[in-house]
Amino acid sequence: MFLDAHSLWQPYSATPADPWDARKVGHLYRRAGFGATHAEIAAGVADGPEKTLERILNGRPESAEFTRTTEFMASEKSMPPGAPQPRLAAWWLDRMLKTAHPLREKLTLFWHNHFATSNAKVRNARHMLGQYRLMNEHALGSFRKMLVAMGSDPAMMIWLDTIQSVKGKPNENYARELMELFSLGIGNYTEADIREAARAFTGYQIVGGKSKFNSYWHDAGDKTVFGKTGRFQGEDIAEACLDQPACAKFIAAKLYRFLVAETASPLPEVIDALAELYRKADYDTGVLVATMLRSRLFFAPESYRAKIKSPVELAVGIIRGLEGTAGPLPLAGVLDGLGQVLFAPPSVKGWDGGTTWLNAQTLLSRNNLALALTSTEGIGFGSRCDPAKLLSNHGKSGDAAVVDFLLGVFLQGDVPTESRGKLLDYLKTAKAAKFPVYWTADDIAHHRYRAVAHLVLTLPEFQLA
Amino acid sequence: MATRRDFLQSSLVGFGATAPAFLGRTALAAPASKKETVLVVVQLTGGNDGLNTVIPFKNAEYYKLRPNIAIPKNQVKGIGKDLGLHPACAALARLFNDQSAVCVVQGVGYPNPSQSHFRSMDIWQAGSTAETVTDGWIGKALKAKPSPAFHLAAGNETAPLALTGAPVRVPSVASLDDFQLKMAAANGADKAAQKGVITEVARRTASPNNLLDFVARTQLNTYASSDKLAAIGKNYQPKVPYPATALATRLKLAAQLIDAGIGARIFYLTLDGFDTHAGQGGAVGAHANLLQTLSDAVSAFYRDLAERGHGERVCIMTFSEFGRRGYENGSKGTDHGSAAPLFLIGGKVKAGILGDHPSLTKMETGNLIHAIDFRRVYAAVLDRWLGIDAKTVLGAKFDPIAAF
Repeated sequence: MFLDAHSLWQPYSATPADPWDARKVGHLYRRAGFGATHAEIAAGVADGPEKTLERILNGRPESAEFTRTTEFMASEKSMPPGAPQPRLAAWWLDRMLKTAHPLREKLTLFWHNHFATSNAKVRNARHMLGQYRLMNEHALGSFRKMLVAMGSDPAMMIWLDTIQSVKGKPNENYARELMELFSLGIGNYTEADIREAARAFTGYQIVGGKSKFNSYWHDAGDKTVFGKTGRFQGEDIAEACLDQPACAKFIAAKLYRFLVAETASPLPEVIDALAELYRKADYDTGVLVATMLRSRLFFAPESYRAKIKSPVELAVGIIRGLEGTAGPLPLAGVLDGLGQVLFAPPSVKGWDGGTTWLNAQTLLSRNNLALALTSTEGIGFGSRCDPAKLLSNHGKSGDAAVVDFLLGVFLQGDVPTESRGKLLDYLKTAKAAKFPVYWTADDIAHHRYRAVAHLVLTLPEFQLA
Repeated sequence: MATRRDFLQSSLVGFGATAPAFLGRTALAAPASKKETVLVVVQLTGGNDGLNTVIPFKNAEYYKLRPNIAIPKNQVKGIGKDLGLHPACAALARLFNDQSAVCVVQGVGYPNPSQSHFRSMDIWQAGSTAETVTDGWIGKALKAKPSPAFHLAAGNETAPLALTGAPVRVPSVASLDDFQLKMAAANGADKAAQKGVITEVARRTASPNNLLDFVARTQLNTYASSDKLAAIGKNYQPKVPYPATALATRLKLAAQLIDAGIGARIFYLTLDGFDTHAGQGGAVGAHANLLQTLSDAVSAFYRDLAERGHGERVCIMTFSEFGRRGYENGSKGTDHGSAAPLFLIGGKVKAGILGDHPSLTKMETGNLIHAIDFRRVYAAVLDRWLGIDAKTVLGAKFDPIAAF
């Protein structure tokens, strides 16, 4: 069947040949959030695509308890400017674990990777929180407003040296990355555009923790950018970037890779169709994201398991699936070894992601994190996640029921028969093993179930989002 | 322009094609002879300010370009008659002057230089200025002549493009302690059973999902590497003290792996932080600290290996994606530039200075103009040091520099 680019973005609807099932619900929850629980998958299957998508796109209002805790943790008292970096990361992880609107946190993570700013240089937790709020506010809203505001965001101004850039001797750092990484992509501007645009970003300072424009240090002369001349200031340059045809394409392609697939380069017309929509919606990211998540292409085989899970997706997904909790500080520490420190991306380009998430070291660390979260013996995690408890809560016992329940939650049962067989074999072997004499029958059962949960999480399929 | 970080289709297809060969061996299968040469690449991420690393201290123009951040004449560490190293590179200067173990290659770059960190880094790592790059120069070298290699990673660092395209994925290792598969097992038999499942589920016939194949192959490769490294003793006693920096710790691990005789021929490490747009300092300060980290760590590493009799087997090569602007900016830092020097260090390198210092009066919009194409350096390292046909790797003939 031939589909043109626009029809690929038409909403998916279930057919007998392409039914709505647990696999599709799991896929949607992995991409639009941080994975699903058993109950969410069951509800998603029962409710069908429209209702499930509405629930995910709109989220639910946050609880009073959530709001109170997260606001307290972000207060000046518990998060002073000099708060250590892991505390910032832990704060956000806690939100991801408990939020009633995972899609918004997920998109905030996308923007954090896009405007990748690190507290390693900013060294001010208040500024980092300020930038988080800017991104969270516009995560599913106006990219236009976010891009314009980012130029005078204090964390960004420190990160890319805008505060040091003055008339006569501009610093090119922000102007360059604005074009190369934040709006247009390489090849869509000239070195002269950067040098001229840098002059517009002079005179921006931070006074009393807030951005302030100081005309004394600003170069008020004419600048020529993208062939137009004027006495531009920073905001004008951001608007000029937004007016370039490359901008909507650049952001749409990046969102495609984040939400849909990172395995294959889409045809240009597939991205062009999204870019057209994005421009028509005046850069309303919510409209773009809704179109992508509802689409035929999103639910097509080409998009299924077509991404490697990021460390945050992996960790939060395990905890959610186990219906457990975890201390966010120890979790932040573990994510360091997996290659994703929130509020400290490796460079202004963010995390490369994709296959670069996985190397020998990070793969071992992923397996060992899965162990820490399933064994109840992990230092810093304890028994707040416990597969044995999960299984007992859902009334599951007996080897086949246990394996199928765990495979259902974490992989919607979509693994080779041989893999399932090996898991069952392990449970059988372990039943006959010699355990310490003081272990009770329950101890042995729990040990086997925890071990097999760990094994499920080491399946290659589980590394895919 | 697409880079491999956007979409990985082509390299994944490449992985698929090598599947059967892969299953027959591991990353560390065939230890090479103890006498084989070793290359250690140290990447300086962010764009090292070459002009404040190898300093033309007799050139008045240098002091005009950099009124705030120039290194005073009386503080440079002289190498040759017109050049000096940054004072933080005192240890490297000693290796240059006392041990004749350093070759300084000046004015290295490539035509139409990109001032994007990411594009320029891709060019250096791919060894190619092609519009789209998917494989790294070292990955291609390993394909031409397979041998064990390691990416000695900072904890949260991903594998570099330079290493992609190898027939067996180059393992990233942060520390031997963390390079183990852990299990919660009741006893040895239970542990073996769990480990059996973990390994077996990764050993599968090719699936239509390239990404899944990639994961499974990375898993198998990793478990094999982990087993092999578990056999290496954890207590390495260096012959000279290493500084207490992360780079030095990783170089110490490289020394341990070289000394263990497991046949590893290539090591890749990075040191980040060279993007000194503001407040980079002069003889002291941010840039000085980075150079000190580099110089002290590399010097300890080389001397440790030399004492163990590996000095003539090892060559350390530094590089950065570009140098920095000739003139300083208003924030007492430097913006992105182009040509810069690099170091080759080892018992068998032709010690001295290769190439002239780039002109400080004839520049390209403030950037130094290169005279030596970086692929000429790679050609020397490949042909003359590793014994790998450079033309196969670089896709064209580049005249190797006379560094060996």
